[in-house]
Amino acid sequence: MKNIVILVAFDHSHNVIRFTLKIVVIGAGEVGFDLSRLLSENRHDVTVLDNNKDSLAHVEEKLDVLTIEGNATSIQDLVNCNVQAADIVVAVTSVDEVNMIASMMSKRLGAKKVITRVRNHELSLPESPLKPSDLGIDVLIHPEFSAASEIVQLLKRVAASDVLDLSDGKLQLVGIKLDRDSPLVGKSIQDYSIEMEPIVFRLVAIQRGGMSIIPSGKIRLGKNDQIFILAKTKDISKLVKSTGHRDIKIDRILISGGTTIGGLVAEMLSEQQPDWKIKLVEPDYDRATQLAEQLKNVLILHGNSTDPDLLAQEGIADTDVFIAVSEDEESNIISCLMAKHLGVPKTVALVSKPDYIPLSQTIGLDTAINKKYAAANEIHRYVRKGDLISVATLHGIEAEIIELKAKETSKVINKPVQKLKLPKNCVIGAIIRNDNVEIATGVSVIKPGDNVIVFVFPDAIKEVTSIF
Amino acid sequence: MSYRIVGPQSATSTSAIDYRMILGVLGSFIFFLGFALLLPMFIDLVYNEHTWQAFLVSAGISFILGGSLYWFFKPDREVRIREAMLIVAGTWLALSFVGALPFMLTGVLSNYTDAFFETMSGLTTTGATIFGGTTHTGQTNPAVENLPNSLLFWRSLSHWLGGMGIIVLSIAILPLLGIGGMQLFQAESPGPKSDKLTPRVQQTAKLLWAVYFALTFIEFLLLWVHPSMDWFEAINHAFATMATGGFSTKNASIAGFNSAYVDAIITVFMFLAGVNFALHFKLMTGKGRGIFDNRELRFYALVTLIAIGAITASLIFQQGMQAADALRYGSFQAVSIITTTGFGTYDYELWPSLAMFILFMAFFTGGSAGSTAGGPKMIRWLILFRNSFREIKQIVHPKAILPVRIGDYVVDPGVMRAVLSFSVLYMCLFGFIALIMSAFGLDLMTSLGASIATLGNIGPGWGDVGPSENFAFIPGPAKWILSFAMMIGRLELFTVLVIFSYAFWRE
Repeated sequence: MKNIVILVAFDHSHNVIRFTLKIVVIGAGEVGFDLSRLLSENRHDVTVLDNNKDSLAHVEEKLDVLTIEGNATSIQDLVNCNVQAADIVVAVTSVDEVNMIASMMSKRLGAKKVITRVRNHELSLPESPLKPSDLGIDVLIHPEFSAASEIVQLLKRVAASDVLDLSDGKLQLVGIKLDRDSPLVGKSIQDYSIEMEPIVFRLVAIQRGGMSIIPSGKIRLGKNDQIFILAKTKDISKLVKSTGHRDIKIDRILISGGTTIGGLVAEMLSEQQPDWKIKLVEPDYDRATQLAEQLKNVLILHGNSTDPDLLAQEGIADTDVFIAVSEDEESNIISCLMAKHLGVPKTVALVSKPDYIPLSQTIGLDTAINKKYAAANEIHRYVRKGDLISVATLHGIEAEIIELKAKETSKVINKPVQKLKLPKNCVIGAIIRNDNVEIATGVSVIKPGDNVIVFVFPDAIKEVTSIF
Repeated sequence: MSYRIVGPQSATSTSAIDYRMILGVLGSFIFFLGFALLLPMFIDLVYNEHTWQAFLVSAGISFILGGSLYWFFKPDREVRIREAMLIVAGTWLALSFVGALPFMLTGVLSNYTDAFFETMSGLTTTGATIFGGTTHTGQTNPAVENLPNSLLFWRSLSHWLGGMGIIVLSIAILPLLGIGGMQLFQAESPGPKSDKLTPRVQQTAKLLWAVYFALTFIEFLLLWVHPSMDWFEAINHAFATMATGGFSTKNASIAGFNSAYVDAIITVFMFLAGVNFALHFKLMTGKGRGIFDNRELRFYALVTLIAIGAITASLIFQQGMQAADALRYGSFQAVSIITTTGFGTYDYELWPSLAMFILFMAFFTGGSAGSTAGGPKMIRWLILFRNSFREIKQIVHPKAILPVRIGDYVVDPGVMRAVLSFSVLYMCLFGFIALIMSAFGLDLMTSLGASIATLGNIGPGWGDVGPSENFAFIPGPAKWILSFAMMIGRLELFTVLVIFSYAFWRE
């Protein structure tokens, strides 16, 4: 079987093995633009179709892609984009119906895979009379929903800066920042694992002073290290406790910005945690009214979240989590810093510029959420459905998580992991055998056909994939 | 240059009111009233009281008047909204004028003022009567028991027809004004199927009439099986209950039957008559799941239970009544007033002050929107309360946007305004009518009682128009004013008041 790897790397200067795919992106809006950039930076052949000249000019100017002006629902324009020969068609216009029709036609024209952004959830319900497959859609994506889910997930582990579900939620990867007084400071990873027995976990990466390290067992943890731990989901809370983070009881949330993401976060939280006090600040009166009518158990405030009077009035000092998800990412960062300054224990900001993400940790933001990584992750997840390889990206660290299938001829099988000769910048995180998930330890043995979750730096991907 | 007087012919702008058309529509209603006027003749066949001629003549006048109006001014197009306002008010007026004829032609009443008052009281499902007292002209009106059975039947039938009219009104006209409450109900039950019973008003009206008819029939059977009522009394009371009217066949009202069974049945059916008929329809057609999620129904039930509980407690502890009796009389009176029916089994003016006061407050409630009950209606109170709580919360969170919700439904600002202005107008009218009554020399409680009893379509009031009294003694002009109060209250104020507005006539 041929492996297809799509990598979305932060730093595209790494020389990474790539298969060039022909990808047509329909819609040059925010998501379309970001996706096209990520894909073209990874040297895929990207064609962008949109009916708006200005958006296309923007794409043309910034990205190395082919742009075609046309209508997403016109057969001729789709043929002009060569969708019939495309490996992947991504339909991400702002209109659901246009995306659906464009997907359907692309599939009929011969596109191999179709990825479609549909905001309406009804299509993904099991009782829906119209299935995505009826429309030729292979994968439904909803970037705002993914970003909102990620934020909600983070709130469940307040101490963590990152939370990522793997293997359908059986595994979780959490990023935790070590305080000065954390009991782990000065300890080696080996000692830490012995101390935590019988809990099995894998410390897969450390972010230290802007550098990402794939650690060996002897490395000692230091203050301000951000550690990434992979473990079974049920063990995560104990591990988080062991890092010295007290469990912050959260029930007061302030969301800044009534964007799609803000609305979704408020909706999900108010449904999942009905006893939490959720407030949402939105500067636009009409949007605020609309949200107030939709969200029954959320207090909608009309105002600006950088207005200290409003924040004081609404008791910012008692707020447990401040989530800034407005369109303006600079104001998200500023308002998070302000909230931090006023004593909010946890802040989450929506930040889109990759340059800002490493910055966020150094200036004291707890978490930066990036909408397009959410979308990119979804596309990666689709590739896993192709049963070959899965890739996920994490904010703020240059490593990637990939899932590889061990072949009969692989060099890694039938040997304990500690005896394997692995490339330097990689860690075997977990082994999945017939739906059974095991955290890899030194004595674990990989069998042919196992799926293996590997934590790897981009420069080592080529070597890693070659030995599997 | 000379001035030209613009006559009706040249004023052909599309928004002009076409009076010919209005007369035509009214004519058709008057014509149909003729059929209703024939029905009491069958009662006369049974009881042989020689009153059938009066009904035949009334029906004849109805047919001729209505038929000729319809013939000459045949409506040939859809009615416009301003015409609809005039038609609605005109219908209640015209039918009361014609429906009053049997009272005169049978010779039971000698002045038309009383006959009109009684008919208006019937058609507006009020139940205030002028029988059994000395009138303003010095004659003595016969007691209810002494009326011919055909006339008793006509009184009950006028209630029942009025109730049918209200059902149509609440689905066809009031939503246009944003004041009905029916649109609240519709919006409150989500999902495409329950949104509206059917897409067409006519179809919906038929379904709700079927519900109305079925409930009336069930009540009739339940009353008839009991020995204390014969079939005739059962029909009359079933009509008066389901229309939340209040005319009885006895001067002592339901107390005259002296039966706990009858009290209980009528209490239950009065409550049911105060429930939105669309909810009954859902229950009867097996789609009743979730009807208790209806906030108005919950609020209505809650208010009723609290009133019953408090009155019963007051009667037991302050009056020393037996617990069973306290519950029987307490619940009957409470439900009767809340639903604006106005039947009586006990003179509540002999009650302890607490029980009396609770009942006095109940005069200002009314049943649910979409029922036959009058008064301000539960949904309006619910919205008012919610809005008041909202204002309190707004003080704590000055920048918050706080929509007023009834269940999951967000009250539209337009509906909110209509509810607020309705409440203010209602209270003003209540005070104004009471003021006029006091100008006619009625004492304070009588003035207040007469005002709310007619404006709220309840029937009995307080003081000299209390449950054991009647409206006979009230001066003639005051009776006309009270008749008007019944109509304005029945048609939810705006429908009538808009006719008196400058804007209505400007074009």
